[in-house]
Amino acid sequence: MSAIPYAATEVPEVLVQRQTPSGRIAMALAVLAMIGVAVMPLWASTGTIRSVLVLCCYIAVAQMWNLLAGYAGLVSVGQHAFMGAAGYALFVLAQTYGVDPFVAVFLSLLVPAALAVPIYLLLHRLDGPYFSIGTWVVAEVFRLTASNLPLVNSGAGMSLRVMKDYSAFERNIAMSLLCAGMLLVTLGGSYWLLRSRFGLALIAMRDNPVAAASQGVNVVRLRFLIYVASAVGCGLVGAIYFMAQLRITPGSAFDPMWANVAIFIVMVGGIGSIEGVLIGSLIFFIADRWFGEYGATYFVVLGLMTLLVALYARTGVWGLISKRWDAPWFPIQRKLVDSYR
Amino acid sequence: MQWFDALVQGILLGGMYAQYALGMALMFGVMRIVNISHGDLVILLSLIGISIATAWGLGPLPVLVVLVPLAVLMGWVLQKAVLNRVVGSDPLPSLIATFGLSIALQNLMLQIWSANSRSLPGHGIESQSLEIGGIYVGLLPLIVLAVATGLTWCLDLTLKRTRFGRALRAASADVEAAAMTGINPRAVYAMATAAAVGILGFAAVFQALRSTVAPADGPAQLIYAFEAVIIGGMGTVWGAFVGSMVLGISQAIGFRIDPGFGVLAGHIVFLAVLASRPQGLFGKALS
Repeated sequence: MSAIPYAATEVPEVLVQRQTPSGRIAMALAVLAMIGVAVMPLWASTGTIRSVLVLCCYIAVAQMWNLLAGYAGLVSVGQHAFMGAAGYALFVLAQTYGVDPFVAVFLSLLVPAALAVPIYLLLHRLDGPYFSIGTWVVAEVFRLTASNLPLVNSGAGMSLRVMKDYSAFERNIAMSLLCAGMLLVTLGGSYWLLRSRFGLALIAMRDNPVAAASQGVNVVRLRFLIYVASAVGCGLVGAIYFMAQLRITPGSAFDPMWANVAIFIVMVGGIGSIEGVLIGSLIFFIADRWFGEYGATYFVVLGLMTLLVALYARTGVWGLISKRWDAPWFPIQRKLVDSYR
Repeated sequence: MQWFDALVQGILLGGMYAQYALGMALMFGVMRIVNISHGDLVILLSLIGISIATAWGLGPLPVLVVLVPLAVLMGWVLQKAVLNRVVGSDPLPSLIATFGLSIALQNLMLQIWSANSRSLPGHGIESQSLEIGGIYVGLLPLIVLAVATGLTWCLDLTLKRTRFGRALRAASADVEAAAMTGINPRAVYAMATAAAVGILGFAAVFQALRSTVAPADGPAQLIYAFEAVIIGGMGTVWGAFVGSMVLGISQAIGFRIDPGFGVLAGHIVFLAVLASRPQGLFGKALS
């Protein structure tokens, strides 16, 4: 018996193309914008820095929600639970225990990480839409607990008085650097994640969880990891946002407004893409500045727009754009190109 | 005695929650949809009822007679215009659509009725009480509990005995197989939502009678309904009823321990049930 010889097949030489011209331009612009944010005290007034900080918080929270709903299929309406938890952790560490506030910002991230684990183990038992309301209940539990907890001064809230040791200019520098860091971690981190092996698994899971599992993707573990990562990301936003606010109360810390904002931004911008988050954040930020004074009417329009997007244009603005022009800002696809050409 | 009183008051409070929970259990059982604007619809109906009562000088019963058909119509329109387009295996579209609707409704109500708390004048019925075994029991909460029991019983019988109930159960078990046997799922869905929102018509009148309503109250009612359904076990009508009682009792006992602890006690019992018996008290264990 001799082994049947295989015909020598020639493997065609191909290159994997991962970047596109539009991607290179966008990446250069994104790096410039990130540097611009980091050096804000050189060019912007305190008021502008505040506005940019809020915009950065919108982008970061929306991207964290996008990671959950757009890729892991976990629709949470209670991510503000982790923002408030980290915010409170920062205040307790810095104000009560005298930890340096700029160290406490990072230490406080341990709290959402530690809370996210048991919460996910509890909530993942709930089916699809019930999971969402479960996350809302958890946020309510956090709010009511904070209102009853003497450690965080109960319902009266806390002030970050230790910040008075720093001059306004020093605080502006810190806020700008923290903002740039937050964008780097949430947006840059997501982009890096999506381009990695995990990204392939995530995109497969987004398109069809059952098919992804059959291809060897550990959907259960990946969902858990994404939930914890998103909780930590939201915690970072909360810590930075409330550090800038200098004041936290149970009502502001666990404000469902953040869930509304994240859902509006991601749904209108385009779910399952980083570009959509940027577009949605800009739309929301500008609309908030221009129409915020109309109060309730403005929110009626916002709610109806979310409803209409869910009914008629589920891919959002970016979905409509990318259907016409194939020019991704943050390309994540792998394209095989013939190297001889 | 104090704790026995809390137990009785808790059961009566549970009667109110059961009226919210029934519709949610029905809609989830049939369509796998959770309507985030569930609580806002209660508040909207309450505010409409209060406006009707003050404009035409009606008592609670005539308001109920006007409000329930209006609620049925609202449910039918909601299904036809919104939910039929988003029902499917992916939970995201229905969640986002009803979430947007919820924000729009809350702010629309704020615009029309302002943020003030209002209540429905009950012409004395809200302050009457009976003494039973040394405990004073409000007449109105007793009526609420009786109506909740009646509604649960009617809904259970409808699902078990009538042609409509069979169609509903068939559509909930397997939509495609049901469609093959000549059931039009969209028509069944529209009737299910009409029934679910119709029950909210009762809830709206009683909610406005026994306490106050304000435009921002909706989400809390949604959460209570949701907790009751999960505690009782998804998909069973009597489960939702018993879940409401458990939630009501937990809150009433929590309020006796500390006024700041009442609502939180309900949430904690819900989380405890989720941790120890995720299928709910009456649900069947998942295979």
